[in-house]
Amino acid sequence: MGGVEAPADAPHARHEGQHTPVFVGPRRAQLDELFTRYPTKRAALLPALWMVQHDRGWVSEAALAEVAEVLELTPAYVKGVVTFYTMYHQHPVGKHFIQVCTTSPCAVCGAEDVRDAFLRHTGCEELGVTSPDGKYTVIEVECLGACGFATPVMINEQFVESVTPEKVPDILAGLT
Amino acid sequence: MADAMINLTIEGRAVSVPQGTSILEAAKTAGILIPHYCYHPGLPVAGVCRMCLVEVEKAPKLAPSCATSVAEGQVVHVHSPKALEARKGVLEMLLINHPLDCPICDQAGECELQDYTYQEGRAAGRLRDGKRFNPVEDFGGDVMYVTNRCILCTRCVRFMDDVAHDAVLNVSERGDRALIGKFEGKDLTHPWAGNVIDLCPVGALLSKDSLNKVRAWEVDRTASVCPGCSQGCNMIVETRDNMVVRLRPRPNDAVNQYFMCDQGRLDYRWMNRQDRVDVPLVRQGAALATAEWEAAIAAAASLLEGKRAHVLASPGLPNEALYLLSRLVGKTGGAGAFRVRQGEEAPLPGVPDLARRTDLAPNGRGAELLGMTRAGAPLAGMKAGDVLIVADEELAGMDAPDVAKAGAIIVIGTTLPAWARHAASVVLPITNVVEEEGTFTNLRGRVQRFRQAKSGPGFARPSWLVLADLLAALGESATYMMANDVFDALAASHPEFAGMSYDALGLKGALVKSAAAGATA
Amino acid sequence: MGYPHKPHDRETTVLSKYFGDAEAITLAGWKQRGGYAALEKALGMSPAEIVAVVKESGLRGRGGAGFPTGVKWSFMKLDDGKPHYLCCNADESEPGTFKDREIMRWTPHALIEGCAIGAYAIGAETCYIYIRGEFTEPIMRVEAALAEAYAAGILGTNAMGTGKTINIYVHRGAGAYICGEETALMNSIEGRRGNPRIKPPFPAVAGVFGQPTTINNVETLAAVPHIINNGGAWYKTFGRADNPRSTGTKLFSVCGNVQRPGNYEVPLGFPFKDFLYDLCGGPLPGRRFKAIIPGGISVPIQTVDEAEASLMDYEGFVEQGTMLGSGGVIVIDDAQNLVKQIARAARFFAHESCAQCTQCREGTSWTTRILERIVAGDGTAEDLDTLVDIADNMTGKTICVLSDSCAVPVMSGLQKFRGDFEALIKKKTVHMVPAVA
Repeated sequence: MGGVEAPADAPHARHEGQHTPVFVGPRRAQLDELFTRYPTKRAALLPALWMVQHDRGWVSEAALAEVAEVLELTPAYVKGVVTFYTMYHQHPVGKHFIQVCTTSPCAVCGAEDVRDAFLRHTGCEELGVTSPDGKYTVIEVECLGACGFATPVMINEQFVESVTPEKVPDILAGLT
Repeated sequence: MADAMINLTIEGRAVSVPQGTSILEAAKTAGILIPHYCYHPGLPVAGVCRMCLVEVEKAPKLAPSCATSVAEGQVVHVHSPKALEARKGVLEMLLINHPLDCPICDQAGECELQDYTYQEGRAAGRLRDGKRFNPVEDFGGDVMYVTNRCILCTRCVRFMDDVAHDAVLNVSERGDRALIGKFEGKDLTHPWAGNVIDLCPVGALLSKDSLNKVRAWEVDRTASVCPGCSQGCNMIVETRDNMVVRLRPRPNDAVNQYFMCDQGRLDYRWMNRQDRVDVPLVRQGAALATAEWEAAIAAAASLLEGKRAHVLASPGLPNEALYLLSRLVGKTGGAGAFRVRQGEEAPLPGVPDLARRTDLAPNGRGAELLGMTRAGAPLAGMKAGDVLIVADEELAGMDAPDVAKAGAIIVIGTTLPAWARHAASVVLPITNVVEEEGTFTNLRGRVQRFRQAKSGPGFARPSWLVLADLLAALGESATYMMANDVFDALAASHPEFAGMSYDALGLKGALVKSAAAGATA
Repeated sequence: MGYPHKPHDRETTVLSKYFGDAEAITLAGWKQRGGYAALEKALGMSPAEIVAVVKESGLRGRGGAGFPTGVKWSFMKLDDGKPHYLCCNADESEPGTFKDREIMRWTPHALIEGCAIGAYAIGAETCYIYIRGEFTEPIMRVEAALAEAYAAGILGTNAMGTGKTINIYVHRGAGAYICGEETALMNSIEGRRGNPRIKPPFPAVAGVFGQPTTINNVETLAAVPHIINNGGAWYKTFGRADNPRSTGTKLFSVCGNVQRPGNYEVPLGFPFKDFLYDLCGGPLPGRRFKAIIPGGISVPIQTVDEAEASLMDYEGFVEQGTMLGSGGVIVIDDAQNLVKQIARAARFFAHESCAQCTQCREGTSWTTRILERIVAGDGTAEDLDTLVDIADNMTGKTICVLSDSCAVPVMSGLQKFRGDFEALIKKKTVHMVPAVA
């Protein structure tokens, strides 16, 4: 899940002073198109939450309430959905959100070493805690569905296959 | 078109129920209660607690009886070794993260987890690891949530969503991190939210009002009817040491299903008020002096001699008292009127015809049926020189000139308001709704009994008894030994109530004739 | 098998023929390779005819349940006047399985063609492809392919000029293994928590949005165009002669401690021993196989003897103490701590439990905690008995089988590798305060 609050100047992770609506302009148009795909507005919930996360980096309570209003659901309902699905961040996270698969098939291929290498090289002290410079958050995730390419790692939306501890410094160096 | 009947066997008993009935409900008809948590007849089926698993012969797996329809020829075992093992397993699992809070938990003594564990669970736990911990939360309204005790039956979530139509509760998180959650700032302020406290099988959702007040086994329970509005929700009055400590809803499919509103539920403190008039009073000059009952009744009767009685009746009085008041009115050629305080309606949308009503009194319909006139200004029809009988009512808000028309004022009530000290000639103390038995007629014409839950103070007497004595002193020949007798006389003389009796009314009540005709039309 | 290895001689590349072929991804490239001929042919057949062909082929669900696809499609009543839906289960989250990912990123049009044929066959005008949120590349590829297909008039309100409506949309998941369960998938599409539903009602009666629905796995749907093109009888030529119940080819995802992990496509019934040592290259240098899980983490663990005696089809694996499942082959060698891996598997299930059923919600977590304690050297002999009891309580008593799946590695691990557990047990009992008599 998400890490703890990042410093205010971390570009990817901002706390909103005042919530500005997400679903205006092009995003609203996208949402309206989505509505044509399903017989209920509720069904657009997961896609709508993805839009929020893409725009703001995480799903804040205020954003969650906006989604609820636009889809004619209660905020409590939307919150129940957000907390069910692990990919929605409920707090701001580091600029590079690093997810290391450590489920059994990858575990037998050394995934824990990959995880530890990321923790070391990013300066993150613990899993789930954003690095002091706000650049990285490292977490373990469950099976990423690329078991034959152990160890797979996701960094934000980027899927990196066959990661070994040796490759970690280069991978990090390549992140902007 | 009637549903086909399905015949099956449950625990060796033959059962015949309409098609579509669940095994759990079918078992009830045979007197068998299949242990369960998440199922509730007033809520949509969830089938998540897995307590109600039963063994069905020839089926490969145990069936969740709340979510499985009966089938012709099924043979169901509720207490077979397999079913018992499964329930024992569920109970053990529920106690994994559940704290052993019984000594400090309000639910103890009326806790379904305690009950079933004691009945069928393991004697010792096998957990050697730590339990999950979450802090207590305030859900708003009267509700607090003790997260650790929650067994995630989701009754509360389903109630708020499907019955109250106000989905402010959710299940948050996944796995054993799951808990009931809500959104910051959106609380359980719905007028019917308190029902989640009753629905919660364990001590996870508790009433803040009742917190740590009494132990469930210390209270007495009496069947009654909520006096808060004209809906007439059936309720249970819980008392201890002659004090009302809690009100809970009592099931009645025809009136309130399983629910009562928060306003009715929490408005019980007045029933315990200590500033009661508990002895008859008769005016002697400038002051009211205590008197014996016979003397007070005689004084009231003599005031009424040759005069007309104008009755200002409370729509909170039971049918019995109102009946006798109407006899009084008839005997003296006077009139009787009442007004009803108004509140805001608060429907419970998921239940047909259930709402907290705008009429904030339980017996306005009864008053009307028994000859009292509903009026915005109930004293306007009083003639100069009439004897004003203020029966469990207030003069505040009445026009002073109207009041001044009264030749004398007789107060029959539970408290002694300030004006009565100067204006009343006789004060006759009566017991309140939890201190006597009687009936109310709700807004749909349902006549329902309420029973005595505690004893009244001092020399206060039941309202019907005081009025019966007054009528006798005025020459009425009828004698009434019990409230029953008054009701029988009422039924005999009012076609709407024809054929009714306390026995016939039982615990569910019955509709007056015109309402019953409307219902079957 | 494609990327990154070349196909092995003994593979039969039907679905995986173009893995690694970048040109197969586009519509133009796909058409050059024979794409959309099957859809055109199917749209000229009646739905009943299509169902008959698929039934004849013996195709069974490739997601793990192995239910005959033609039979599943026949449950949809074509004249009920209700909107029908096809859902493609691309949630692929079963540990050990990574075949659908390859189908979607190398041959997205194959999937779209299969979905279109399937939708038409069951009377659905709308198909949702539910792709797990983590599959960013497959999502991109499938979305791009859909855009091409719409632009070319293959999809939409006039599919291939026939006047029929076929709409296919991607619905992105957001991190929940349980959404691979068909009823949870439907709930997720509806915008709800991914909770499995009680059955009955079955999806074909009341599924997504309460309407008749069929849910099929990616690999299943990707096989359909080949069946339409070549006929049901052709599909039956793949498989053991003496086992007509398992037909066709299957993508087996191989991972763990082998020389050559990756996806391999072989006919059902292929000898597992040859598969492991020949195709996959056998164990890593200096190591020996210890335990094999052939069908994803939810199927029983096999000993090496059992694995070597297995024939790779539905019935063959059952005969050797396990199941075909999703075909995700997880290979564990003798350098691994098997109990630790079983504990990690339990932790996976505990993380993914939706929390509805008591046994799953509490049992997955309790199992994990006991196993982790055993791995840390703090376990007792009683713990092993407790684990078996918990596993029994978790089996056959819940809304879905995640609970049963958690019990499987525990039970098969204790049955076949009990020594590994006992080696970690140092204490006989733990002194506990006795319960009140």
